[in-house]
Formats: sequence, C-alpha cells, structure tokens
Amino acid sequence: MTGHGPHYPALVAALAALSLSVMLVSVFVGYAHIDVLAALGDALARRDSLPALALVQLRLPRAILGLAIGFSLGLSGAAMQGLLRNPLADPGVVGVSGGAAFGAVVAFYSGLSGIFALALPLGGIAGAALAALALYGLAGRGAGTMTLILAGVTINSFAGALTSLALNLSPNPYAVFEIMFWLMGSLIDRSLSQVALTLPLMVVGWALMLSSARALDALTLGEDTATSLGFDLVGLRWKLVAGSTLAVGASVAVAGAIGFVGLVVPHLLRPFVGHAPGRLLLVSGFGGAVVLTIADIAVRLLPMHPELKLGVVTALIGSPFLLSLVNRMRGQA
Amino acid sequence: MAGTSPGMTGTAAERNIVRLIGAPLILLLLTLFFSSFSQAADLPLHPQRIVSLNMCIDELVLRLADPENVASVSWYSQDADNANMAEAAKLRPANHGSAEEAMFFHPDLVLVGRFTPRTTRAMLSEIGAPVVQLDVPETLEGVRKQIREVAELVGEPARGEALVARIDRDLDAISVDSQMPKLKAIILRPNGFTVGPGSLVDELLKRAGLENMAARLDIGAYQQISLERVALLEADVLIANAETSGAPSLATEGLNHPIVAALSRKLRVVAVPARYWTCAGPAIVDAVRQLVEATRDVRAKVASP
Repeated sequence: MTGHGPHYPALVAALAALSLSVMLVSVFVGYAHIDVLAALGDALARRDSLPALALVQLRLPRAILGLAIGFSLGLSGAAMQGLLRNPLADPGVVGVSGGAAFGAVVAFYSGLSGIFALALPLGGIAGAALAALALYGLAGRGAGTMTLILAGVTINSFAGALTSLALNLSPNPYAVFEIMFWLMGSLIDRSLSQVALTLPLMVVGWALMLSSARALDALTLGEDTATSLGFDLVGLRWKLVAGSTLAVGASVAVAGAIGFVGLVVPHLLRPFVGHAPGRLLLVSGFGGAVVLTIADIAVRLLPMHPELKLGVVTALIGSPFLLSLVNRMRGQA
Repeated sequence: MAGTSPGMTGTAAERNIVRLIGAPLILLLLTLFFSSFSQAADLPLHPQRIVSLNMCIDELVLRLADPENVASVSWYSQDADNANMAEAAKLRPANHGSAEEAMFFHPDLVLVGRFTPRTTRAMLSEIGAPVVQLDVPETLEGVRKQIREVAELVGEPARGEALVARIDRDLDAISVDSQMPKLKAIILRPNGFTVGPGSLVDELLKRAGLENMAARLDIGAYQQISLERVALLEADVLIANAETSGAPSLATEGLNHPIVAALSRKLRVVAVPARYWTCAGPAIVDAVRQLVEATRDVRAKVASP
C-alpha cells in the first residue's frame, strides 16, 4: 500500500485530466458540423444562434452525462467489489442496473415522471435499491463467487422480464420497441434538464461512496481488526449500498443500463493503487468516465444508423475481459 | 434429337434438361392454377363479410363499404387518437390481425396490408379464405389508385370515384401555387425519423408550398435524423407529430426535448396529428390544409421581407 503512496495523487490527477480531455473531445464530435468555438462565443454572449443552441442543448448534456454516468458506474463497481470482497461484483453483473431500469421504466411509462419529473431518477433509485437488497439477502458478505453470480443472474433475468412486461402493458404502441434502450443504454439526444435532474443525486451517491474509502481499506485487515480500529462496519455497508444505489439508479434512469464499465475499470486500475480498495474508488470513477465517454464518442463516429447502443460497445469489450477473468480465477481455484 | 444422340449419355442429358426445365415449369403451372383458383375465382362481386387486418385499409373499407358488410376491422382503428374513422370502427367487431380471428368471421373477403406477417397470409390462403394484399401508396396517384381498387373489391366503384374526386377538389382548393417561393421545411417524427424525397409525404409538402430539406441531406425516403442536424438546418418550418396519445414513450421524448422549444423561437413548429398522414388515405387533405394554414404568415413574411 505504502509503496504506491507517492504515485496516488499523480494517478488521480492524470485520470482526472484525461476525463476532462475526452469530455472536451466529446463536445467536438457529432452528426452535424458545428464551429464549436464560434458557437461557444454565441452562447456566452447570449446570442440565440442555431449552433449555440445545438452546442448547449445537445452536445453539452451528452458530454456531461457521459462523464457523470461513467464516473458513477466505475466508482460503484469499485465500491461493490470492495464491499462484497469479490472481483466480479459490478452493478450490471449483479442486477442492480437491471433493477434500476425496471424502476425507471415504471416511473416513465406510467406517466408519473410526466407529472413530477424527479419520479424518473427516484424510480431508478428505488429499483436499484430493491435489487441491491435482494442481492445482499441472496449473497451477503462472505458469499462465494458462484453464489454472487447466480444471485446476479437471477436478479438480472427477473428485472429484465419485469421491464419487458411493463413495456408490453404500456398503451403507447412505441413502448414495446424500447426494451433495447433500457437493457443496453444510450446517450442520444439527452438534455440539460436531464442533467439537472440526475447529476445532484449522483453526486450525493459519489460522496457517500468516496467517504468510505478509509473504512474499506481497513476492512481488508479483517472485520475484527477494522472494528477495533474504530470503523463502524454496519454504517460502512449502508453507506456503500446507498451510494451505489443513488449513483447507478440515477444513471440508468437517464441512459439505460450500460454494463461492464464497473467490472472492467476497477480491474485495470487495481494494480496501480496497490490493491487498496479505498484508493481504488476515486481512480475507478475517473477511469469509468474516460471509458464511457470514449465509447460514446465511438458510437457517434461509427458509420451505423441508428446509432449503436452504448451497452453493445461496452459488452463487446467487456465480455472477453470477463471471460479471461473467469479463466484466471479458475486457475487459482 | 433422340435418334442422333449416341447411347445412354444422350438420354441422361435429355433427362437432365427435362428435369431442369420441367420441375420449375410444373411448379409454375401449379402456382398459377392454385392462385387463379384461390384469388380471382373466389372473389365475390359484392362481399358481405369483409374482414380487414390493417388499420389503413380499415379506413378505406369503412368509408366505402356499407357498414353491415364489414365483418371486422383491426383494433387500432377503434382508437380515435390513431385512426380517422374510430366512430364507425367502434361499431364493428375488432380483430388483432391474426388469421384465427379473421376465420372466426367466416369472411368472403380478407384484406391485408404489406406488413401483415407472411405466416398470417399463408395461413389464410391455406384455409381457403379469399385474401387480397394491398400495398402502401407512395404517391398521390397511388392513393387514388388504391381507393379505386378497394372500392372495386368491396363492390362500390362509384363511391370510390366520388371519394377520389372529393380529395382532388379539396387538394386543388387548398394547395399553394407551385410558382410561389417555397418555405424550407423538415419533418421530425417519433424516434427521430424524418421523411425524405420520393414519398407521398414529400409530395404533400410540395402541395403545401414547402421544400423538404431532407432532400439536401442525401437520405432515403424514411430515415433517422439526429436532433443536432435538425437544429442546424436553418429551416423555416419544423413539422412534428402532435402528441395525441397520453401514454409516454421514448419515441416521442425527442419531440419534447428542450431544443425543440428553443427552436420554436426561431422557426415555425407545426404539430400535425399523426392520424392525418399515418395512412396514405383521404385524411392527407387535412395534413396539407393544416400545413398551409399554419405557415401562411411565415410565407407572407418571407415574400415581403
């Protein structure tokens, strides 16, 4: 842990800078040509030009949400892996994202979010919380990888079925075709109002998770030692569950369930923080932001219409990664 | 040939040729036999138990045939948000587009659309029901032709002619003179689809004195367009689907995006009820009328800046 100490601030700074740079690139990428600098000038001078509108109302929310949702997924993945002390824990794999999608679908298609906008992220958070509680009941602390994965598969397929059922029950003829969005995720044509609606909830979730960093590190010494060091383990669990539920629930409500970011990113970064789960949190957040923003830039540059869903890209990269991970774990067992 | 060909090889080759030509020929004859049997022979002159499995054909049947001769229409047609003849449709039994339901009415004419599943059509013709598949018209002329065709099928050709004449008269009365300067327009439909050149809607825009900007984008007849491109087109008119159904969907979320509201400060946003032109039927007149009326003052401004 100590051996990597001096590098940690530099690593955080580098990843933060990288996140901001890919976000900047994201603003420059789109389907129509925008002179970004001129549009920015217009926007700052409050000139209501078309490029300024497109920049502020379309490009900016997409870039912000890519960054924030990537941060949420990366951070939540690291938090869940630390909490469950299992390297395969990830909001997508264990079904928390699927639960969030179901909650958001109910809030949206019932018309509740049309009356009261905050119902959409709150629905996502409620669904995520239900899935997290089910997971904790089925495969609480100390459960083996097998139990965790089976619990995740169960929760995922049940949440997926409920989502599909809710879409089928909607009287809107388009609804039933929208399952892809909820299961695979996309950031197409998001708006600033959606940013305003979900970002504050995500930030609260981030704060809850990040504030548990030191306790999470202590937990690696064993529960008894951590308790004797003065850490409240029950409080720690609640903070991590609540934090990841808030962040993932709000993210999925606005962009659908995007998988694998929370699985892949903590794994890639773990060696750089000396395998300390507390330090892994912040770097995984920034790492997730970078990965998701790059994926979102890629779907806009690929010559495919309609645009590829984000979850397709992350799964294409993430699945082989998960396979190699399973293979490595089999070798250890 | 048989006499000059030496031995077995000749007959084998001949047999192959017979097989090559013969098999498809027999198949063709069989197909012709059965299709003539199941279509032309069975079509009644004046059907009395008409079943329509397609919303757009429902509308024409309801407008052209006597109500008592319509055995069933699709359930979509009974929803006033989607269909133009909902009042009349509600008085007839509904079907959900399946062959089984259609058979239940012992139809003497089943009308299906291009998008009625192949399996449904196959099932219907297997049971021996007289099935006619109708296409989706892509032009105004196609609309006229289809109205006449359906009128013929339901045994009311005179009503078909009258309906076509009424549509033409109404369209001529409201159309904007083609010599007038055109306003630049773009269509934004649910799921971010726009309508390009070579479509009926494109022809309707021309009648309303609008130039479809989708033609400049080099996209096909029906393609997705990002809100970003819509915003940067510098159009005079943005034509969106009017929100009719109260039930939310992501498909119509794009039309609620704040940028559409922001754009309405710079250009005219016209919300056309989808049922006016979902079907290539008589209601297209209402679409053109609304477009003309909603852009009249914009046109005046452009004409005399």
